[in-house]
Amino acid sequence: MHADAEQPQRDQDAQPLLSVRDLQAYYQTSHAGVRRGIRAVDGVSFAVRRGEIYGLAGESSSGKTTLIKSIAGAIRPPLEIVGGSMEFAFLPGYGGLHRAPPAELERIRWRHLSYIMQGSMNVLNPVRRVRSSFVDFAYPHIGGSRRRFEQQVIAHLARVKLDPSVLAAFPHELSGGMRQRAALALATICRPGFIIADEPTTALDVVVQKEVLGMLRGIQRETGSSVLFVTHDMGVHAHITDRLAIMYAGRLVEEAATTEIFGNPLHPYTRHLISSLPRIGDDAPRQGLGGAPPNLADPPSGCRFHPRCPLAREICRREIPVMGESAPGHRVACFAVNQGERA
Amino acid sequence: MNGLLLDVREVSKTFTRGGLLSRETIVAVNKVSFQLAVGRPEILAIIGESGSGKTTLARMILNTETPTSGRLLLDGTDLAAISGSGSRRAFMHKVQPIFQNPFESFNPLKRVERYLLMTRRRFSGTAEESTAAAAVDAALHKVGLSLKEVSDRYPHELSGGQLQRVAIARALLAEPKLIVADEPVSMIDASLRMSIVNLFKTLRDDLGISIIYVTHDLATAYYISDRIMIMQKGSVVESGDARTVLKAPRHPYTQQLREAVLLPEVSDPAANVTHGINGPISPAAPERTT
Repeated sequence: MHADAEQPQRDQDAQPLLSVRDLQAYYQTSHAGVRRGIRAVDGVSFAVRRGEIYGLAGESSSGKTTLIKSIAGAIRPPLEIVGGSMEFAFLPGYGGLHRAPPAELERIRWRHLSYIMQGSMNVLNPVRRVRSSFVDFAYPHIGGSRRRFEQQVIAHLARVKLDPSVLAAFPHELSGGMRQRAALALATICRPGFIIADEPTTALDVVVQKEVLGMLRGIQRETGSSVLFVTHDMGVHAHITDRLAIMYAGRLVEEAATTEIFGNPLHPYTRHLISSLPRIGDDAPRQGLGGAPPNLADPPSGCRFHPRCPLAREICRREIPVMGESAPGHRVACFAVNQGERA
Repeated sequence: MNGLLLDVREVSKTFTRGGLLSRETIVAVNKVSFQLAVGRPEILAIIGESGSGKTTLARMILNTETPTSGRLLLDGTDLAAISGSGSRRAFMHKVQPIFQNPFESFNPLKRVERYLLMTRRRFSGTAEESTAAAAVDAALHKVGLSLKEVSDRYPHELSGGQLQRVAIARALLAEPKLIVADEPVSMIDASLRMSIVNLFKTLRDDLGISIIYVTHDLATAYYISDRIMIMQKGSVVESGDARTVLKAPRHPYTQQLREAVLLPEVSDPAANVTHGINGPISPAAPERTT
């Protein structure tokens, strides 16, 4: 009896909280019958498990912002979802937030899914006090008496080392670090299952950044939330994420546990990305990568990295490499690596 | 000649804000002094967080901001004495800026080559099209580009890394002795960043240009600079040889900065429980519904 009752529970745990399958998100415009498309996200698949921080790394124009927009359901023309699905465990059957009816969205926003953005001014209402933002977003989900709610908010603010007085302040009266901590508190007060963090600490100074990352990690451990953490800063990824995916020109090129990515990177792009970073105490010369990032309106044929790749061969020009599992949990999209060659 | 390319003597800059009743004075730069020697090109990094006064200091060196007190001398000329187009042009011949965002330093509606040719004509004083083009081509070659590659291109048609190279080439057209670069690589993509950073080394070694590199990034500062100055709230709290300062920082603030740098490596997974996927994650809180 007991074992039977436990079985479905375990299945549910094993099921990922978010699974993205073969997502294609293009920016499409049509002028006088001429259609143009920018294939910003082209065939991306990954899954975010329960209770993990899943990192997404990539430089500008790699498509990571488009990917986040698609997952968050913030799809406005010319952006269009051309194919694929994004399934949340708490919103089954719709294949993405953009297909869910408004009432469903109302139910899950902030309660199950929340956001921490680079500029927290975009989350906190600039013309209202911080208290009002908490009341607007979190109170409908928590309910109860307003006094009890306020006590709960104050207790939660203490976790991010903020004084209750910030509730009476306007966002512009707070420093960047305080604002980002207030946004973190707002995003976590309902204990959501999934948090999208888009460059949350990029605008902060290094000392404050480390502090905010520590707070995010602490709260995430406590609530067991899953976090999709996007930044271009590999140092931040090494510090906070459990698993890490590297994106290049609209496609994932490699995905593995963060320790594995840093300890044993396989894709030539990942290897370059990690080896080119300067470190204090290391005087070895570093090289930049030749060539320029591709134009997504007219991406290179085959593997999009081939014009800059030291391992490029004939097949890379013709065919698109698929993600192959080189070791358990380590996926890489490269013909050379999957044939056993190393840079 | 006193043998100093740049002599910064006790410069301070204060800003006041507010009206008659509530005046507030902000000390952006507080009595900063340092020197750069003639004939010994070096890269000096000025490190600080936002609000530390590093950009204000850089602007004073570029003579776009006048110090409230103290003096700046370039090649023995007091910057405060520069007035009129002749002496200003002579000043610009010696000092050139490079800014953070290359897309903002170029006019988006003009082809980049036009800007380069105009700059060259202004500095050389010749109207000859062909010699100007040759000089522009030579400057672009120093940064790994050529006139052929950038001609007929608008700024948006180049990548951030390429455009920052063009910005550096533009600065080189004046044949300066000093380049002031304010966060020149923080907007550049990771895969292109190191080639720009390496380019600064080449400018120092091959062309003998001194560079003041303003940044908040300790790792690249360690990589390229010879000397380093750490600023906090307008004051220099520590300065000296880059390797000595960053390997064994003495001032508590430098130590704090040094410790906050997130290394791009996972050092010891066993010691750091946060990195185990199966690491201890506390059970879901009672309020959470799934």
